[in-house]
Amino acid sequence: SRSKEESEKEEGFKLLGILDVQRIPCARNAILHGAGGSLTTGMLYFLATSRVRRSFDVGFAGFMLTTLGSWFYCRINNAKLRVQQRFIQEGIKNKIVYEGSVLDPINKPKAENPSGPS
Amino acid sequence: MAHPSQLGFQDAASPVMEELLHFHDHTLMIVFLISTLVLYIIMAMVTTKLTNKFILDSQEIEIIWTLLPALILILIALPSLRILYLMDEVNDPHLTVKALGHQWYWSYEYTDYNNFGFDSYMVPTQDLTPGQFRLLDVDHRMVIPTESPVRVLITADDVLHSWAVPSLGIKMDAVPGRLNQTAFIVSRPGIYYGQCSEICGANHSFMPIVVEAIPLKHFENWSTLMLENS
Repeated sequence: SRSKEESEKEEGFKLLGILDVQRIPCARNAILHGAGGSLTTGMLYFLATSRVRRSFDVGFAGFMLTTLGSWFYCRINNAKLRVQQRFIQEGIKNKIVYEGSVLDPINKPKAENPSGPS
Repeated sequence: MAHPSQLGFQDAASPVMEELLHFHDHTLMIVFLISTLVLYIIMAMVTTKLTNKFILDSQEIEIIWTLLPALILILIALPSLRILYLMDEVNDPHLTVKALGHQWYWSYEYTDYNNFGFDSYMVPTQDLTPGQFRLLDVDHRMVIPTESPVRVLITADDVLHSWAVPSLGIKMDAVPGRLNQTAFIVSRPGIYYGQCSEICGANHSFMPIVVEAIPLKHFENWSTLMLENS
């Protein structure tokens, strides 16, 4: 029964049977922001116009736009972080390799002050 | 490796597979939103009382449902092409291994420095020891160093085979009389499983691929041992 529980946890929760919001980075936040955005836009439109059906349409459009916006914003930031992480990893690896050698950037002699015109 | 009733990808063990996973997430979100939109439209169409049997043209919506799919396709195509060209890069490999497909086993040759090679047969089910995986484990694994670009030259001895390791994001056909090249870097030590991916006869399902990635120092020890034994 324990392995069954573990496998159920591993399966996660999939929206429409395809989108695993627990495992995919940024998915959960995007959907939650989308839900909040759709509620907000739908309610505001309804308060302004009292048109029920159209409010649902506006709310749905708000869901799409908010989800997409939050998704792309989060993914772009994640991508930038991943690039930085790779640079740092390379730097750490090279630091260990070059430490104490001629190529160690810490040991580089400082540039001398250029002499003024005679 | 894969676990029972798995639907998604295996965890990535190479940078290329990581990029493929990210691209898959990106595309899946777009697919999810399109599915949600279609569902919503279906519900709206089924429940509306507004019907007009005599509409002749509607320029605005035609423009929208032409431009929007084009935009979506561009959003999917650009990262896809980026990864496609990324997969073709071969950056000065440290090691070249030749993988030959036979009926029904793989053989691997390490010919860079000193010549040695070995066959890799599936462990039969009746000979499995505790901890080994049925239909996946082999008697001799292909061993490679971690964090080193490795080039694999793939060919076949008899019929078509295909050398595939999902967690490394690799699949390449083994064609008799042709050398196909692929390259990869394994990010972390481990054992990665794959299976022949081109129908090749009766035992097509019983010629798995196992890649063992170990640190360079241990790889040097292993290759010395293999040379002594060959």
